[in-house]
Amino acid sequence: MFKRIKEIYEYRTMISSLVKRDLKGRYKGSVLGFLWTFINPLFQLIIYTFVFSIVMHSEVEDYYMFLFVALIPWIFFSTCLAGGTTCITGQKNMVQKIYFPREVLPISFVISQFVNMLLSFIVIFAVMFVMRYKFNPLALLCLIPVMFTEFILALGFTFILSSITVYFQDMQFIMGILTMAWQFLSPVMYSVDRIPAQYQTIYMYVNPMAPIIIAYRDILYYGKVPELITLLTAVGMGVLLFAIGWFTFDRMQRHFVEEM
Amino acid sequence: MKPENAIEVHNITKKFKVYLDKGRTLKERTLFSGRRKYENREVLRGVSFEVKKGEAIGLIGHNGCGKSTTLKMLTKIMYPDSGTIEMNGRVSSLIELGAGFHPDMSGRENIYINASIFGLTKKEIEERIDDIIEFSELEDFIDNPVRTYSSGMYMRLAFAVAINVDADILLIDEILAVGDVAFQAKCFNRLRQIKSEGTTIVIVSHSLNQIEQICERSIWIHDGLIRLEGSPYDVHPQYMAFMAGNSLAESAAKKKAKDEKAAANAEANGESENTSSEEEKDNKKDAKRWGSKEVVIDKITVVDKEGKERDAFLNSEEINVKISYTNNAKLENSVVGVAIYRDDKVHIYGTNTLIDMSKMLPLKDKGVITLKFDNIPVNAGNYIFDLAFHKPDGFEYDFWRDAFRLHIKNVKAEVGEISIAHSWECEN
Repeated sequence: MFKRIKEIYEYRTMISSLVKRDLKGRYKGSVLGFLWTFINPLFQLIIYTFVFSIVMHSEVEDYYMFLFVALIPWIFFSTCLAGGTTCITGQKNMVQKIYFPREVLPISFVISQFVNMLLSFIVIFAVMFVMRYKFNPLALLCLIPVMFTEFILALGFTFILSSITVYFQDMQFIMGILTMAWQFLSPVMYSVDRIPAQYQTIYMYVNPMAPIIIAYRDILYYGKVPELITLLTAVGMGVLLFAIGWFTFDRMQRHFVEEM
Repeated sequence: MKPENAIEVHNITKKFKVYLDKGRTLKERTLFSGRRKYENREVLRGVSFEVKKGEAIGLIGHNGCGKSTTLKMLTKIMYPDSGTIEMNGRVSSLIELGAGFHPDMSGRENIYINASIFGLTKKEIEERIDDIIEFSELEDFIDNPVRTYSSGMYMRLAFAVAINVDADILLIDEILAVGDVAFQAKCFNRLRQIKSEGTTIVIVSHSLNQIEQICERSIWIHDGLIRLEGSPYDVHPQYMAFMAGNSLAESAAKKKAKDEKAAANAEANGESENTSSEEEKDNKKDAKRWGSKEVVIDKITVVDKEGKERDAFLNSEEINVKISYTNNAKLENSVVGVAIYRDDKVHIYGTNTLIDMSKMLPLKDKGVITLKFDNIPVNAGNYIFDLAFHKPDGFEYDFWRDAFRLHIKNVKAEVGEISIAHSWECEN
């Protein structure tokens, strides 16, 4: 285990160059280039604002912001679920021909999605600043563990799903559907209060994304420190799923090449 | 593990499930699980070998014999079902060139990506990047996106990265055919240099020639087992003869079946005929000679300046090799090649008409070709000559290993492998 971590650390340059290749390569050739990373979320926000303040008026105050602070982390997570399935099979040539710790591929995929999310957060902060939202420094400090937890949770899932996809290719399509269902089962578009009281506990403990999204919204939209129980639940589930994910991945990766 | 060894392979086996109809989708996996048939194919059935530090070995064998699987297991991208592999030192593999290249990124950026996949850290890449660029000969293009490169340039860049990854053990699979002849020669020289620095090398190749140039030892894998192991000079002729024999046996079997059919027909017609066994005699293979026999060397005579036949020469004397051939297939032309070995199997020299004049020699139905050496400037010793008629792509009409031997004498007591023309001068 420790040896494995050390080996992955030795391949840190590979991780960083794959992340760079993904981020830089994505918009290569386009006129606006890297600016697209900011334009995308900005226009998303503008569209939501238009739809939810004019077309479908919601009773929640500043619904577009309410939605957006949850949607950005959700998009990060759901991209890992759906896109992460193919991060091993998509690099078939490399996996079949060259030795490197296989963990490198999911890790760099998740990091590159994570960086994308961070860049979107710049847009969020800019809008919050312009709209004169109040910044609570203590709450913002909580953003670090919340983001970290979401990162290891997403990595755990990507470990599991990418290795299953090698053996069972339908996984990528199944995840496309499951991710959509999961979004509606998470408090992205609505507040958790809308869940009937008797289901709230089960809702919180079955869906590892629920406490994370609640925490994001507390910090950014309400400007308050999330409840300790929410944070602990999030961290607990994140660590657990990360451990399960890595264990699964480690068991399955030995036969990747033969199965591809 | 013995301290002098870099690689120890103990009795490794590997089985593949070969699905006759591989179902990957849910429907196929659940509904038809009973119907999915597969065969267990044993690719390796207990292979053991050791490689000493600094040694270079070649793995040879026909397609599907298990040599590439062995290399993949050395690389750790596959694991054996049983048996163990121990390696001592940093391993690098030249199996896939240009892994991770992004077409829109510059050559320089791609060097970083590609080298990092080989496990180099940023610092290590920065130390090597000048060498890599210089080796690739792409100084002027290094900041252009690689999609603008020609395929030759692309491979040169890829090879430059791969060859500059320092390793204690280097694994190579069929990749030395990169770029033009000059670049290939450069790659080979670099490989020799790497070898001389003490790197252990394992090569998988169909080109026996490449293996002979680098490796001290060849391992011939056949049907998942080691069939023969030893110096390339000894192993390769037997391998070639076996391969030729195989295809001859195959065609012989086909012919036999055909003949039997014909005989049965003939018998029905009340005739019978005895086919001569001359052909079989022909098929008897000579481990030192192989080829498709479209052109055959009949006789070789070695004569001096005066036309007198001799087998001992001074290293300053003119030597003429007269090669009489029969052109069975009425070919228009052929490449003719020669290789010279010292009797301790050191490869001294090799060339062919393609290298010398970039052309093939015109052939008559029967004729004599003279190969003239102004002198053979080697040091005293016994030398072995191989001669061959072959196609430009290496397909051999007649390859004759150890076609003749010469004793070369040197009047001076020089040392070393060759005698270099030189002079001394004193300045006042």
